[in-house]
Amino acid sequence: MKGRQWQKVKRYRQIYLLMIPVLIYFLVFSYYPLILGIVKSFQKVKLLGGSQFVGFANYIEILGDSQYRQAFVNSLLVGSGTFVLQFVWGLLIAVLLNEIRNKVYKSLFQTVTYIPYLLSWSVVGGLWITILSPAGMVNGFLELLQGADYSPVVFMSEASFARMIMIFTGAWKGAGYFAALFMAAIVGIDGSLYESARMDGATRMQQICHITLPMIKPTMKVVTVLSIMGILRNFDQIFVMMNAAISDKVKNLLVLIYEEGIIQFNVGTATAAATIVLLATLLITSLVKKLLKYEDIYA
Amino acid sequence: MKKRSKTNNRLRGGRAVLFVCLTAAVFLLMFLPMWNVLVVATSTALDASQSGVKLWWNSFSLEGFEYVFQVTKMGIPFLNSLFVTTAGTVIQVILASLAGYVLIQKDLPFRGFLSSFIMITMMIPGDLTLISVYQLNKQLSLLNSYEGLILNGLISGFSILMMRNYFETVPYSLAESARMDGAGELRIFSGVYLPVSLPGMATIFFMEYVARWNSIMLPATLITDESKYTLPLMLKQMILSVDSTSGTMAVPDNAIMAAIIVSTVPLLLIYIFAQRFLLEGIQMGAVKE
Repeated sequence: MKGRQWQKVKRYRQIYLLMIPVLIYFLVFSYYPLILGIVKSFQKVKLLGGSQFVGFANYIEILGDSQYRQAFVNSLLVGSGTFVLQFVWGLLIAVLLNEIRNKVYKSLFQTVTYIPYLLSWSVVGGLWITILSPAGMVNGFLELLQGADYSPVVFMSEASFARMIMIFTGAWKGAGYFAALFMAAIVGIDGSLYESARMDGATRMQQICHITLPMIKPTMKVVTVLSIMGILRNFDQIFVMMNAAISDKVKNLLVLIYEEGIIQFNVGTATAAATIVLLATLLITSLVKKLLKYEDIYA
Repeated sequence: MKKRSKTNNRLRGGRAVLFVCLTAAVFLLMFLPMWNVLVVATSTALDASQSGVKLWWNSFSLEGFEYVFQVTKMGIPFLNSLFVTTAGTVIQVILASLAGYVLIQKDLPFRGFLSSFIMITMMIPGDLTLISVYQLNKQLSLLNSYEGLILNGLISGFSILMMRNYFETVPYSLAESARMDGAGELRIFSGVYLPVSLPGMATIFFMEYVARWNSIMLPATLITDESKYTLPLMLKQMILSVDSTSGTMAVPDNAIMAAIIVSTVPLLLIYIFAQRFLLEGIQMGAVKE
């Protein structure tokens, strides 16, 4: 038995050779950082070099730290707000797209709504920061509405607008992505369903509400679970768009972890925080999966 | 769906008007900001700094583009991005294909172990191991190097699984008979499997290209040397210098918009030529989760 196994291993030796770079890569760049992170989260770096095991001290410090608590609240508020707006917006795009009969308009609409998703947050962030600046387009429109004595709003340094701006720009960038996923599901709906609804005299609006929307429910679940998994892990947007005037309102967990761990070198607490975010993500995801009665057939 | 004017497959009356208005509103909300970028980027710095709705040109000018290439030296980060993105993506596609090929060998000893070894990495979120990734790169002296930008994220479990799924559509007996004829594994791989899997490779290539081109977190972690900046880092720096009131010299709006256009062009080209692969890819990405 053992001999035969060995024969096979020998026969496939070329194949194993193909695999070696991949295995080494994952060991070094995936597994090692994961383990290193967990180890570091239980350590404190001493001033004279070397580190000391401190048990759960870093974790306890994080849970009591008001900075981290604020960042958690910000992540949750901006993350869930973005998700809801992006979901509705994406669904709207998909339903509208499905009603456009003209091929040219249809592909134009799809392209324009999808492009922001392709761009990096540096691009989208820079675009909106400029548009929301005192000389930007939004102030331009407000001036048109309110006349010459209008004084421009500096949107990006108004703490009270900060979260709304992040939610809006986040949804603006991602709506086309959700729409593409919804569209794929809508295209797959059996045409005979609409046919028989029409026979029964259902209006188009009734068809949308009673066939289109219920039929893409599985995709809605997938989209929900997908975004919930990312809700605490939004880095790029805040990293690019945050400034000192609004950081209290929008600085989220990943940006804080980045600042603490990589710029301030508080490795122990930052890795402990990252581990907590990982656990929180798993917890929230499995909770949402339960709530949605999410079956793993989509997995 | 065609020409059934008597049946209710279209919205009618007030609903139809509402539909047209909604479509126009959504379209403008998405389109106007992007159009504004184009207009401001090709206006003079003076016009760009004036307040007002800038949706048409007062004066067409390419001085914003001159500014980004001469003053902010955007050429360097552009070439950096182009190089690390292309190199990283090409290697990713090659390695993912090889690994995917290994995973379809039916009676390969340890195949189950190899599969789970790869699948588990998909559950390790890279952004949450960021600090140890930084330390790892420091230990390997990959900070501030092109190698670091290429090596990190070089392979993903997702692309391997995707290639495996493509390879599984090839009948296994084809490979077996080639093996009987004495063909080596690389011959079988390139002669039998690769031709069938070209669409899959294209999908991975373009998805990975977009992701790498846009990546911010990893370069922000690994790179502090401005000569190694990628485009997103440079753009972020340009935006910030506008932001801070005490900063040295603020970058004019038309230059920022020009920089945005320059860093967007490659992605738009990809979208135009590879739309089909991108859409397929995002759907597979969603199914995976």
